[in-house]
Amino acid sequence: MIALLLTLIVRRLLSAVPILLIVSALLFCVLRILPVDPAAMSLPPNATIEEIEAQRRAMGLDQPLPQQYAIWLRGALHGDFGRSIALRRDAGELVAQTLPATIQLAACAMAIAAILGLGGGLLLFHLRGTVLEPLADLASIVLLSIPEFLWGLILLFVFGVLLQWLPFTGQVAPGLPLPHVTGFLLLDSLLVGRFDVFLSACRHLVLPALALGLAFSPTIMRVLRSSLFDVYLEDYIVQARLRGLSEGRILLGHAFKNASLPTLTLAGVQFGILFSGTLLVEVIYSYPGMGNLMVDAVRNADLPLIQAIGLTYCVVVLLINTAVDSLYVVLNPKLRVR
Amino acid sequence: MALALQAKNLTVSARIDGALVPAVRALSFDLEPGRILGLVGESGAGKSMVGRAIAQLLPAGFSITSGALLFEGEDVAGMPPRRRRALLGRAIAFIPQAPMTSLNPVLTVGAQFDEHLARFGAASRRARRDRAVAMLTAAKLPHAAGLLGQYPHQLSGGMCQRVLIALAFSTDPRLVVADEPTTALDVTTHPPILTLIADMQRQHGTAVIFITHDLRLAAQLCDQVTVMYAGRAVESGPARAVLATPAHPYTRCLQLANPSLRAERRALYVMPEQMPSLRQLRDLVGCHFAPRCPLVTDECRRGEPPDIAVATGHRAACIRTAATAGIAAAVRDDVAVRAGEQPLLQVVGLQKIYTVGAGPFGGGRAVAAVKRASFSIAENEFVALVGESGSGKSTIAKLLVGIEQPTAGRIVFAGEDLAATRNRAQRAASVQMVFQDPQSALNPRRRVASIVTQIMEAGSRHADWDQRLARTKDLLAEVGLSADFATRLPGQLSGGQRQRINIARALCALPRLLVADEIVSGLDVSIQAQLLNLLARLRAELDFAMLFISHDLSVVRHLCSRVLVMYDGEIVEQGPVAAVFDNPQHPHTRALISSVPPDEPQAPWAALKA
Ligand SMILES: Nc1ncnc2c1ncn2[C@@H]1O[C@H](COP(=O)(O)OP(=O)(O)OP(=O)(O)O)[C@@H](O)[C@H]1O
Ligand code: SF4
Ligand SMILES: [Mg+2]
Repeated sequence: MIALLLTLIVRRLLSAVPILLIVSALLFCVLRILPVDPAAMSLPPNATIEEIEAQRRAMGLDQPLPQQYAIWLRGALHGDFGRSIALRRDAGELVAQTLPATIQLAACAMAIAAILGLGGGLLLFHLRGTVLEPLADLASIVLLSIPEFLWGLILLFVFGVLLQWLPFTGQVAPGLPLPHVTGFLLLDSLLVGRFDVFLSACRHLVLPALALGLAFSPTIMRVLRSSLFDVYLEDYIVQARLRGLSEGRILLGHAFKNASLPTLTLAGVQFGILFSGTLLVEVIYSYPGMGNLMVDAVRNADLPLIQAIGLTYCVVVLLINTAVDSLYVVLNPKLRVR
Repeated sequence: MALALQAKNLTVSARIDGALVPAVRALSFDLEPGRILGLVGESGAGKSMVGRAIAQLLPAGFSITSGALLFEGEDVAGMPPRRRRALLGRAIAFIPQAPMTSLNPVLTVGAQFDEHLARFGAASRRARRDRAVAMLTAAKLPHAAGLLGQYPHQLSGGMCQRVLIALAFSTDPRLVVADEPTTALDVTTHPPILTLIADMQRQHGTAVIFITHDLRLAAQLCDQVTVMYAGRAVESGPARAVLATPAHPYTRCLQLANPSLRAERRALYVMPEQMPSLRQLRDLVGCHFAPRCPLVTDECRRGEPPDIAVATGHRAACIRTAATAGIAAAVRDDVAVRAGEQPLLQVVGLQKIYTVGAGPFGGGRAVAAVKRASFSIAENEFVALVGESGSGKSTIAKLLVGIEQPTAGRIVFAGEDLAATRNRAQRAASVQMVFQDPQSALNPRRRVASIVTQIMEAGSRHADWDQRLARTKDLLAEVGLSADFATRLPGQLSGGQRQRINIARALCALPRLLVADEIVSGLDVSIQAQLLNLLARLRAELDFAMLFISHDLSVVRHLCSRVLVMYDGEIVEQGPVAAVFDNPQHPHTRALISSVPPDEPQAPWAALKA
């Protein structure tokens, strides 16, 4: 199995190289075609034409596009993604600092989506043939059509503004310190022993993570349900019934494990989409992650930063897909042992 | 002693358009502890329904509408589900038809054993493990302890069935229901699997219901048999007596429709049409076998025939049992067709190597599916290709029709090297294939006429619709179907009719060689007889040769004049059918032959070891 996993991972990483090259080149071209002048923007408004021209040359903007890209690529390979024009800091460093917050949000959201999705899928399946089935079916379809930003707004309005149960801006309550060890706030607050910070961070995560989780759980729900329907046509389910196993035992002990394989494949794709979905939710909740960084970068036409962030999204999604495929190999005995 | 299982006028009905139609009608039998009862009949006769009724796992819409099914005196239909679940698995166990898919693919053999034994009181993990190893060893599975950690897909079909048999008997059940336990397996595994079931049954003193479509097999294995037709037990009695002196015309016809491996070659008895479906059954008055019965009289259609005792313990539901023995098949008249002298197809040193499991850095294993096969087929000659699954039969078929390209070797057809024939249409005109599974081979959205004449769509042969319809009419008549089938969809055909359409399609362009891959396997004996006779007639009329791939030696002996025996990618023996079957040289040929039960119920079946 180890050999199989390794080949899979190596194959994935190898195929990631051309993908990343193409994506970065595309991003680069698109950003350069936009009618913004990074050289002018990086200087104070009162700069003269000569100063701007000098800055252009210093930034390499006078060169032809392929050459510019080559310069950028060389830098990127050495870990240098250029300087953020607006924030005047290293773009790579900025991304590295903000990424953990977004990963933390996405991971919590995925956990919520998985729990709701799997639980809901089992429930939907369990209700088959009852009077509640069409109702539950309809409900899941309605849920399926609510996007994450709508959930964000609804939750914010109901639990934040109306009921005032939970905070809805930022990562922790204002005034609390932000300990920094690994970059992941939940972990770091525990590491330094600040349980108040940990609690506050948890409370701040609830609404954005829930908004994302709710938006992505219905797909998992429905895929699990239909996979279960497929599995229940299999001979081993009949055979389990003939052995006198209870329906609960058959569902959880036999069918669920089989049905979770196709569900997992889908969940992997979903996680990639969910990760991009953090952008809007972060903006709604003023959550200091990649999403807000991106929005600021776009607003400032901060080309190096946009480029770095865009590429980061791409890398994360590729890594997630690799991880999910590896998990699939681990869970599926047909792939694991031959 | 109490009966293990007793059926008293058991009727299982389906609700169709508001009316109740019985799928099993007034079935009665007594099964004593430690005995084997065979339920025999063709597809749809209601055999499996009986097994399902015991577990109360009937298909949706079906229920026991009258009568009773008593397990050790207790009515299974009336008992609370809790009580039934306590019996299932422990006192009543089931051996399935499809072993490969009946074990959970994501759980190890050990886990599935453990779950089963844990429900029935084996307290410690250790004790359960020991029991599992003991049972697997008793099922003659090598390395039983190591097997516990393996997954079902790592085992062959025969091994899966052994595991399932071990599992079934591990709780010392008092009743085991085996529903066609060997049908899905290779023929050479039939005798050892049946031997295993019989051994286990004897050791544990279990009562067994053995469901099969094979009369000869039932006679060898069972104490009693009940022959079912359209939901009714048409004949029942001591197994050997029923086979030796069948009293019901259906039993007799079934026997005559089955080709024999050892007796003199004779024509197959052909029952017209097929068993009525539930829907047709609803409007049928009188004896349900009447539409197909050679002895039918007006009286038969007036009312249902009573159950008559023809000897002690031997009963039949027919009013003319005395005449049954007189039913005979016509003398064979197709033997006169001679194969031509000229070789039509010559295959020399044919080889096909597949690479499996190749990684990103190459590697992978080379698997030789066909190793240096050489044979020839003369004009108008029917040659059989037999062997176990995985021996390479279908690969040869694919190479012949050009779906796959050979790694080495030559295929010479009518003096022309086929590998050089790049023109697919040209090749299709001379070699046509009939596929194993008519269901998936026929496009479900096309009408029969368009399926049958599909080849007329191609290139130069392009024909207009009137021409195609005319050809369809001819072809349908040729394969014995009426012209109004032309507008039907495949979904509106029975299995036998689909296979006829399949054959008609292959014959459309008058090919000179037909490659038929298992075209009668999975069909009922009476439908199989219809198709075999059809092929023999077509050969005489249309003049074509055939490579007939099959695992059924009796069918091969009936239809073909020469046979190729394949084993592990190699043709290990070939020759005239009579010579090979009467005096087999290769051990594998011998194994294949001995796995067919004898025709005579009294004759011992050497392969079934006591
Ligand atoms: N799930 C189902 N839905 C509707 N009708 C069914 C279903 N299963 C079986 N039947 C019908 O019930 C009748 C008896 O079927 P049963 O499965 O008992 O036959 P069988 O003798 O076991 O056949 P086979 O040899 O094909 O297993 C047939 O007419 C069949 O078409
Ligand atoms: S009762 Fe009549 S129709 Fe039915 S099996 Fe007997 S002879 Fe044939
Ligand atoms: Mg059946």
